[in-house]
Amino acid sequence: MAWHAGIKTVILLSFVLAVGFLMIILSCALFANWLPLLVALIFVLAPLPNAVFSHCGADDFSTDYEGSGPADLGRFITSTIVVTGFALPLVLAHSEVIKPAACGMSIVGGSLVYGTILAYTAAFKQEDSEYD
Amino acid sequence: MSLPRSNYDPRRVCLNPFPNFTLGKHRRAIGIYLAGGLFALANWTFLDAAILSAHAHSPYDEPQIPPPVHVAFVDWVPGICSLLGMIIVNLIDKDRVRGEEGFGDSRAVWRARLFLFIGFALMAGGLAGSVALLVLKYILHEYPDQYTYYGYANVSQNVALMLSAIVLWISQSVGSEYEYNLSI
Repeated sequence: MAWHAGIKTVILLSFVLAVGFLMIILSCALFANWLPLLVALIFVLAPLPNAVFSHCGADDFSTDYEGSGPADLGRFITSTIVVTGFALPLVLAHSEVIKPAACGMSIVGGSLVYGTILAYTAAFKQEDSEYD
Repeated sequence: MSLPRSNYDPRRVCLNPFPNFTLGKHRRAIGIYLAGGLFALANWTFLDAAILSAHAHSPYDEPQIPPPVHVAFVDWVPGICSLLGMIIVNLIDKDRVRGEEGFGDSRAVWRARLFLFIGFALMAGGLAGSVALLVLKYILHEYPDQYTYYGYANVSQNVALMLSAIVLWISQSVGSEYEYNLSI
């Protein structure tokens, strides 16, 4: 039961991820300007600092809610990169480097990609916490 | 009775978290995410003005007139000051500034407060410098709105950097207050 639900979730998330990448690549290819492809790279890199720093600074004396400096740094960098991913197409469209349609498509595609990553992480965390 | 126990076995709190503690945890994380977002927003606001200035072209009805003003290095200085001040303020240990923990070295507290003052002065100087730049470089010359936007972007960059530093400071102090209440 739960296994089937997991498989359905994985299939749905992979479809959403593919649609997100499709929109980003379309936003580049339709207007023959490949700068919005950076958005895909940025959103894929966004959870990386959080993942790298989340296991730093956790020793026997620190608790979960307390938080450590490295974990805070990871959160800071992650949200910086996420805002960068949304701001880059807007800035490019504002200075007329890319078309506004390409800007909207790359933002929608990028948020689909990042939402997929977030949902996948959340699904994994729930499965892990059942065994705690 | 509860004092040595909570000091002795901190994992009990981790295993059975109270609701207000999880709220504190989320508040801390949300504050730090918010600070990071504000930081990126600040820098992208200014970079937007810089990129816009680099791509500025003459008006379509008068092709002979070049853009009257560009973003130069002067416009970068207030942001750099605010950034340095933010780094200095957030690198200081907050227990050291409070000076109640009995570190024994009073000169360390004095030095920490001096550096904190320098950091806040750099941030305030960046904000004041951006306002001065807006008035002296853009408003007094009475440029069109398209070019005055560079100055407003600079001011909003510095305001957002200061807000980001404040949010970061508050969210980290909230976390340490929870820890402090727990250990007492």
